Amino acid sequence: MEEQRKVNRAGVAKLLVLVLRVLVSLVFIYTGVMKVFTPVRFATDISNYHLLPWTGAAVLAFYLPWLEIVSALALWWSRLCAGASFLLLAMVLVFIAASVTARLRGIDVSCGCFGNAGRNLTFTSHLLIDLALFLVLLILSGFEIRQSRLRQAGSVTPILSC
Amino acid sequence: MTRRAARQVLLILSLALLPAVVQAVYMRNRLSWRQPATADEVSVQEAKSWGREAMWIDARPGTEYEKEHVPGALPLSTDEWDNLLPAVLNSWSPERKLVVYCSKQTCGASREVARRLREEAGLKNVFVLTGGWEAWKSSEK
Repeated sequence: MEEQRKVNRAGVAKLLVLVLRVLVSLVFIYTGVMKVFTPVRFATDISNYHLLPWTGAAVLAFYLPWLEIVSALALWWSRLCAGASFLLLAMVLVFIAASVTARLRGIDVSCGCFGNAGRNLTFTSHLLIDLALFLVLLILSGFEIRQSRLRQAGSVTPILSC
Repeated sequence: MTRRAARQVLLILSLALLPAVVQAVYMRNRLSWRQPATADEVSVQEAKSWGREAMWIDARPGTEYEKEHVPGALPLSTDEWDNLLPAVLNSWSPERKLVVYCSKQTCGASREVARRLREEAGLKNVFVLTGGWEAWKSSEK
């Protein structure tokens, strides 16, 4: 009976992780691709935060979208998915911190996080989406850490883990 | 786990670098690496000299607009774009010059509103006020 319950719980966890990973991958691939096609606009968006000189913003405008795409794809590769989860988590944290500090400094910026698709979103909507992504990535990262510990202890067969 | 994840992070960072460098090289002439592509800016003095020809657009949040704004300015923030744009279009005529401002030189809202007026609303003669509302206030003293 207890064994059956464990199997059921593992099944639910497996499904949840799968759904969350699909969701996160799609969001980051979409936002990455949107920004890949408009580097000049994205550089302007980054520059508007007044955190980096223009050259830094221009470099990031080329690099960040690809980092999002590669990280999102890496979530599906067992050799890279733990690193991808942490990297995406760090990126979302940076996005949130940059948006909040800009707001606190009185800088009214277009976030730029979602390329053209996000231009009509308000600051609050951006922040809520980022926070939701942060929560999902936190769950995924926590799951990977737990699976890794269990695997090291030899007490679990990895389920969709890194 | 930590060391493995750190190695993976480094690998992903390197993998992303490849297409980014290729794209940057391919598009090197489309973007200035030294200074941003600025929107058409106009000084307070010049915009004032346009008189009634100038149409002032306030891109700051609604609360700031309600407190104080350039006389005759219409509010148009990105947060309320769909609600506020019709009033701007109703007042607009082809011979008028739109002067968009936000709170100060460092804010980005006026550039964003100016860009959207050009690209989405298809308007011409859209300018960004250098120094924003701060510059206007100083010019009134």
